[in-house]
Amino acid sequence: MDESKEKIPLFKSWTHWYVFVLAFLALLIILFNLFTKAFS
Amino acid sequence: MTQLDWIILIVTLAGIITYGLYKSRVTHNLDGYLLANRSMPWGLVLLSIMGTQASAITFLSAPGQAYTDGMRFVQYYFGLPIAMVVICIFFVPIFSRLKVYTAYEYLENRFDNKTRALTSFLFLLQRGLSTGISVFAPSIILSSILGWDIYLTNILMGGLLIIYTLSGGAKAVAYTQQLQLIIIFTGMFLAGYMVVRLLPDGFGFTEALHAGGSMGKLNVITTGISNGKFNWSDQYNLLSGIIGGFFLALSYFGTDQSQVGRYLTAKNLTESRLGLLMNGLVKVPMQFLILLVGVLVFSFYQFHRAPVFFNESLAARAAKTEYSSQLARIDSSYKNTIASIPGWRQQIQHSNPGNENEMEDLEKKIKLANATADSLKKEYKKILAKAIPGADTNDTNYIFIRFVVDYLPEGLVGLLIAIIFLASWGSIAAALNSLASSTMVDFHRRYSKKQIAPEKEFWISHWYTLAWGIFCIIVAMFAYNIGNSLIEAVNVLGSLFYGVILGVFLVAFFMKKITSGSIVFMAALLAEIIVLTVFILTKMNYFKLGFLWLNPIGAFGVIIFSSLLHLFSLKKQSPAV
Repeated sequence: MDESKEKIPLFKSWTHWYVFVLAFLALLIILFNLFTKAFS
Repeated sequence: MTQLDWIILIVTLAGIITYGLYKSRVTHNLDGYLLANRSMPWGLVLLSIMGTQASAITFLSAPGQAYTDGMRFVQYYFGLPIAMVVICIFFVPIFSRLKVYTAYEYLENRFDNKTRALTSFLFLLQRGLSTGISVFAPSIILSSILGWDIYLTNILMGGLLIIYTLSGGAKAVAYTQQLQLIIIFTGMFLAGYMVVRLLPDGFGFTEALHAGGSMGKLNVITTGISNGKFNWSDQYNLLSGIIGGFFLALSYFGTDQSQVGRYLTAKNLTESRLGLLMNGLVKVPMQFLILLVGVLVFSFYQFHRAPVFFNESLAARAAKTEYSSQLARIDSSYKNTIASIPGWRQQIQHSNPGNENEMEDLEKKIKLANATADSLKKEYKKILAKAIPGADTNDTNYIFIRFVVDYLPEGLVGLLIAIIFLASWGSIAAALNSLASSTMVDFHRRYSKKQIAPEKEFWISHWYTLAWGIFCIIVAMFAYNIGNSLIEAVNVLGSLFYGVILGVFLVAFFMKKITSGSIVFMAALLAEIIVLTVFILTKMNYFKLGFLWLNPIGAFGVIIFSSLLHLFSLKKQSPAV
């Protein structure tokens, strides 16, 4: 399949998808850190 | 197990086999058998990726890990989403464009046949052995807990799935994994719900979290820094999770055929990418929830007197030895130590919120009792090791299943035993399919002097699937005879080879100037020697290093040696001035 003709779901480009996945990971780490502090 | 448990277990397993066979009926060619005709939507790719990675040990061991060491194990998965992004950018487009059957096929296009053969051989070696252990590890737990014969359990664990894997290949594997994961998640959710339900009145989910947190079990994020220094031997912390976990996930998902074979089944590049990225989104929360079940089980046992050792059949064997009186004495001290904990927990629950001093005092008592209980457990394990030399005294994998068998209601026990089978089958079936793919495509087809008819290739692949299935069951049988040392060795086996295989792929993708297969081949061998040397030195206690760090060492080793050998070859070629 020609990569340039790909229809990307939800976002405009794959770069947006990648940023979303990495930002979600960062958010999880922050939330886990708060969780650790709240219950330690 | 009651009659109802048996019925649920048998119906669930028979249902999966029938469903797998039903989905097999449309597979008639090699492309269909090895790659499901490259027709899968991203949802199936995602579930197949998850089902391949999550073995029975994931669901048995993770709650036990949280029970003993807390939730910090989740950090091991922090590198995974980053690896998914890197694989989507660099790996998947190339595999997709070249329409390869195996990841190693690409290395022949890029370098030469011997580099392909080396990486494929390393894959077959470590995946074949580790799949055998994937058969053995849950079998030994089930046989210990339920009193089943270990050899028969090995055959059931590794043999029944061969029926649909052999007949349907990649398509049957993907569709059964979908159903398996739905049942697994339902069962795990019910188990988590039941733990909270079984807690005493007035002690709910939040209170259980506080009880676990006060004992250090909710240590999700840890820095690995102690006394101002980073502890390199600490297995699970933020840094090792992100860096070591990234290299491990990059190697596993980018270069291990058991995973590459899953996303190559996608109908196009977009579906492959979506499956991988969705895995990057859901994997960490999923592991967090599985570990959380372990913390809830810990809180449950604060009221129900946990046994001193969760593998009761091993404890019973030890009780028949000359060490029985010593073990009984420790068990008695342990029971006395933890006897007051439920009462103190209830007092905290019902004490006046304004009375901080009383609550602090009770928390201190509980902490001290738990710490004393932990040291008694360690003492018990030491004696156990003397009583039965070579026995596995680590009971982490038995904690969750012991709780299931002892406390969950009729029917749910059968479902959770079925889950152990299904989780095993999902990862073993994918491994058998990938082992057959690599053997067929990277060796049989590549080294066959005659052109093989497509129909014959299709049937030869069936024989390879069967042969690898039998091989894995034989490894499982030997694992029982050899003992725990082999299991430990195979657990780190992945890290011994993954880094080097990844390094070869990284050179292929990013160091375009290096075109000589001989250079990369030599660099891979040298890097492997370095990894093995480091591993042996750590085993001989010359220095301490967590096994996750072997992955970056292997990968960077190949890159550095390739660069040096390339420079050396250029100098040799250029005429002296």
